[in-house]
This record gives sequence, structure tokens and C-alpha cells, in this order.
Amino acid sequence: MAALAFTPHIQRPPIPPLSTPTKAPKSRTKTRVSLQPSPTFSDPFVLQLAETLEDSLPSSSSPPLPLQKLRDTSSEALLSTPWPSRKDEPFRFTDTSFIRHSQIHPIPHPPHSSSLSGVSSNTQFPNLVVADGYVVNSVNLSELPNGVFVGSMLELSEVSILKRVSEFVSNSDCGDLFWSINGIGAPDLTVVYVPAGCKVENPVCLRYISVEGCDEGSNELPVSNPRVLVLVERGGEIGIIEEFLGKDGQSRYWANSVLEVMVGEGGKVRHSYIQRQSLNAAHIKWTSVTQEAASTYELVEVSSGGKLSRHNVHIQQLGPETVTDLSSLHLSVSDQTQDLHSRLVMDHPRGYSRQLHKCIVAHSQGQAVFDGNIKVNRYAQQTDAGQLTRSLLLEPRATVNIKPNLQIIADDVKCSHGAAISDLEESQLFYFLARGINLETARKALLFSFGAEVVERLPNPIRKEVESHIRELLDPTLKGSS
Amino acid sequence: MGKNGSGKSTLAKVLVGHPDYEVTGGSVVFKGENLVEMEPEERSLAGLFMSFQSPVAIPGVNNIDFLNMAYNARRRKLGLPELGPIEFYAYIFPKLELVNMKADFLNRNVNEGFSGGERKRNEILQLAVLGADLAILDEIDSGLDVDALRDVAAAVNGLLTPKNSVLMITHYARLLNIIKPTYIHVM
Repeated sequence: MAALAFTPHIQRPPIPPLSTPTKAPKSRTKTRVSLQPSPTFSDPFVLQLAETLEDSLPSSSSPPLPLQKLRDTSSEALLSTPWPSRKDEPFRFTDTSFIRHSQIHPIPHPPHSSSLSGVSSNTQFPNLVVADGYVVNSVNLSELPNGVFVGSMLELSEVSILKRVSEFVSNSDCGDLFWSINGIGAPDLTVVYVPAGCKVENPVCLRYISVEGCDEGSNELPVSNPRVLVLVERGGEIGIIEEFLGKDGQSRYWANSVLEVMVGEGGKVRHSYIQRQSLNAAHIKWTSVTQEAASTYELVEVSSGGKLSRHNVHIQQLGPETVTDLSSLHLSVSDQTQDLHSRLVMDHPRGYSRQLHKCIVAHSQGQAVFDGNIKVNRYAQQTDAGQLTRSLLLEPRATVNIKPNLQIIADDVKCSHGAAISDLEESQLFYFLARGINLETARKALLFSFGAEVVERLPNPIRKEVESHIRELLDPTLKGSS
Repeated sequence: MGKNGSGKSTLAKVLVGHPDYEVTGGSVVFKGENLVEMEPEERSLAGLFMSFQSPVAIPGVNNIDFLNMAYNARRRKLGLPELGPIEFYAYIFPKLELVNMKADFLNRNVNEGFSGGERKRNEILQLAVLGADLAILDEIDSGLDVDALRDVAAAVNGLLTPKNSVLMITHYARLLNIIKPTYIHVM
């Protein structure tokens, strides 16, 4: 029959002309913005914030090249990125006015050591304490195998590692306004480097503590911009545990952090992320991961704090046969917003990925948002991708906005996704009652077991702490339910 | 015994207090108390046990924790101290033999991934652990193979004492060959 020339026009975003032959290479960073002839619209609020952040950085010492390059790229980007509004799809369900309408000021100095006195360190494993964005303390780092580096880039002297770091810092093509704000405002870059073939047995703990904060009633909002780069060379393996907490459980602050992970061929990174920020704090975190062939990246997230908490995850597959496993548990037990926006881009064959998202909203003004995007592009044949999101709404007017989405172009793939939103199941509750267990105990058991599926994936040192924290959080919610 | 649709399971569910049914009249007297006015968990603590026809699965809660919670609820009611996990395990271990089940069974989640026969055996295990003055077994023999049926019937016989009773709902004679009924009600 008529073989019409119907060439499916695959919509791809226009690739910016990074370097046309005639353009001189000297202003390399600037060409990225030259997509638009001139910044069509610069948001004055954003520009002012950028200036304030730039001024707060120590101007005396010249920062290492990667940091400088990062700051340049970020300030270029900020010239044409407005503050997100509810009309922008990535923020359709997430109200950022809490941050936008506050008096934001940077934190120009690390906190005084006396204010850190109450903070305990896990002395069992190698760990690093980052306070208000500055690296302040480290324990047991000498126990790490040879060649592994964990610490601030300002203390990194190994030239070979520095070279690798500069190749990867801010190389990703993901990001939004908050990513760029971190790029400008980060006073330092923490580097975790694992050389080829090295398997680090004990997980490395990174504790981010927000010390400076304001009282509930004020409009001030101090912002910290911690930034970490994890570079695992081919065959290397490491576990990373990130814990975010505030020194005071009620103070106002904004933690805007970025973690970049590069997993080399055959490498493995097990990433645990615990967010327990103050209930009046804003917490925005980017996790940007690139995975080379046959590498494994596992993420287990438990977020229970923050008034506004947003986690952006971007994972780019750079080679075939990768394994990606994401699990997250979000708890909104007071008027909090817990948001997870994740994007997994598969461009190579035989990748395997699983994503499990669970959230419990236990307050009538609590909210959870999930946007799980998986792009299975043309060359990602024989991909096996699965996604499941389950939410429990326990109070009237509690809200959940779920948008699982898979964009599949390859035609030989196995992809699935499922979503369920409900209250606790009547039949299960009745089973408990029929055996003499009262309703309160039954609800507690079912709620806890709902979250347990994610929590039990955490590694041992941190799992028990998180379990008891969640039990505490879920307990008071039962008083109102019947 | 009775025809399909005669209301045997409905009666059993009403006795236990299933939320699907609302009693509009009449009363049920059990050990001097009116069951209809009691909450389901109170009825269970008063000594009433029902094994469900199709027990629901509870992923995330494992068998031993579930049994521990139920057992401690009874201990509380009797004013006895509650048992911790280790003591409870010691208590429950011999009961496993009664129903001919292996110990790894306790670590699995309640009825999750269980075949129909395994779920029925789980119900009998719960009866053995919790004890009851009146146990209503709703079609305990459906879906059981010959060996499982023999184990279940032996367990029920072992639990019968002069002080408690079992009300069995069944269609088939084979169970009645092993558990001799004292009285047969036909609906």
C-alpha cells in the first residue's frame, strides 16, 4: 500500500548551539545563554538574591578553579531564570511563597564551635559534619582505605583528584533556579572520591546541621548552600548516609543543598537520605546522578521534617545494564509539604530500575507531592522499569498530588507503574479487632508497617534511629482518629 | 450445616461484629452479656473466636508480632503482665507443633503469599495461641488437602475441652469423620 513518508517527528528539545565554528572558544560559558539573544526577562528578586549571595562569599582568597567555574555558570543561568510560580509545571502543586516572601539572607561564616557543642557525632563510622554549608568537623576519616578522599575541596591537594573533580562539577544538564542558587552561594565543595576498584566497607555519614535560624514569628530566613560531589571511579563501591537536621526543631531557615554523584563503570553507590529539618524550615535538595555502564545506584529516602521540603532527583544513564533502585517515604504529620520530583533518563539498553514511593499525610493541612518521570528513550531497548506509589491519607482535607509518568520511545521494553491512594484498609483493621486488638493499636501497627517497607532498606546504624523516630511521629496522630 | 446462601457465614460475621452488618433487633447472650452491644474487640476478649472463610492478608505485619499483640491484649484484660517477644516465642513454639507448622512461618507477614490452606492453618494457630470459649470455624475444611485437613482436625480435637465449644460451619462429611459433633444445627 502507499508507504507514506510518515516520519514520526520525535520532539527533542533544541540542542543549544554550544560552539559554532566561527565563535571564538574563549567565552565558552557564555554561549550557553546565547540561546536567547539577550536575557528577555530577568527576575529582579532573583538578581538581588544572587548579588547578596555573591557578596557574602569571601572575596579575599581566590577560590579553586572548579568552584569559580561553577559560580560563573550559575550566575549566567540566574540571569534568565525567574522565581518559579504555580503556573510552571514543576511547581504546580508546590507553593514556594514561604521562601519567596521571606527576608532571605546568606550565612557568611560557619557557626562558632560552641554552638555545635550539643550536636553528637556518630563515632562508629567515618563522618563529616557540615554546618550551615561549611565543613566543620570530621571523625574517623583516617580509617578509610588508601586513595579515598572525604573532605572539603579547599583541603584537597591531590592533583589527579582535583582534575577529575573539575571535569564533573556542574556538568549535568539538569537544574533549576535552586540548583543555580546553590551554585552561586556554596562557600565550599565537599568531595567524596573513591578510586578505581576500591570498595569502602563502612558507609560515610554526612551530617548537615542548620545552626543559624530565626524565631517562628520573624520574617528572616537564613539560607545555607551545602554542596557535595561524590565521584566513584570504575569498580568502586561506597555507601553514603546524608542526614539533615536543625539544631533547634522549631527555628526558621532554608537549607538549599546539592549532591552530585558520578558512578563509574561497574561501580556501586548506596545512598541513604534522612531529612529531619525543623518544622518551620524550608528544605530544597537536588540529587543529580550519572551512571556509567553496569553501575548500581540505590537511594533510600525518609523525609519527615521541614515545613516545605522538596527533593529533586535526576538520574542520567550513560551506559547499558545499569541498576537503579529508588525508595522513598514521606511523612507529613503537621502542616507540611513533602515533595519528590524525580526524573530517570535512560538512553542505553538493558537498564533495570525500580522506584517505590510511599507517603503518609496525617494532618488536614498536610500535603504530599510526587512527580516521578521516567524517560525511556529510543536506544534504551530491553529496559525493565517499574514504579509504584502508595499514599495514605489519614485526615479529612489532607492532600496528595501524584503524577507518575513514563515517557517511552523504545519499543522493546518492560515498563509498569501503579498508584494507590487510600486510608487504612477496613478489612485489615477488622482482622485486628476480631482478634481482640483495639483500634488504636491496630492503626499504629498498620501505619508503621506501611512505612516499614522503605525504612527496612536503610543500612543498619541508621535504621533503628529512624524507626523509633517514625514511631514517635505516628503515635500522636492516633488521638484524633476513630 | 445448610444450603448455600442460607446465612451461615452471615450469622457468624454478625456474631463477631463485622462492620458490614447492622443488627436491627434481637439480642445474643454470651456468658451473660449481650454481644450485640459490645465492640468487636470486646467480644473477642470475652472469649469469642471466629476463623474467617477467606482471611485477609496484612503485608508488613508479621505473624509473631500480630499474635503477640493479640495475646497481650488478653493478658491485659485478665490483669496479667504482658509477654515480651522472647517469652512469647517460648510460649508459642509448642503450639506450632500442634498445627504442624514450621517456625519460619512466624516471620512471614500475616497471610501474605499464603495459599488458601495455609491461611486456614494460620487461623487454627491463632485459635491455639489465643484460646477461646466459643470458636466459630467458618468452612475450615474448604481448600485443604487430605494431610492438611487431618492436621487441622487433630488440632481442633486437641483444643476441645469440657470448658469450651466449637461451632463448625461445613458442607462436607469428611471433617465430621474426624471431629465428632455433639449436635448438628441445620439452617
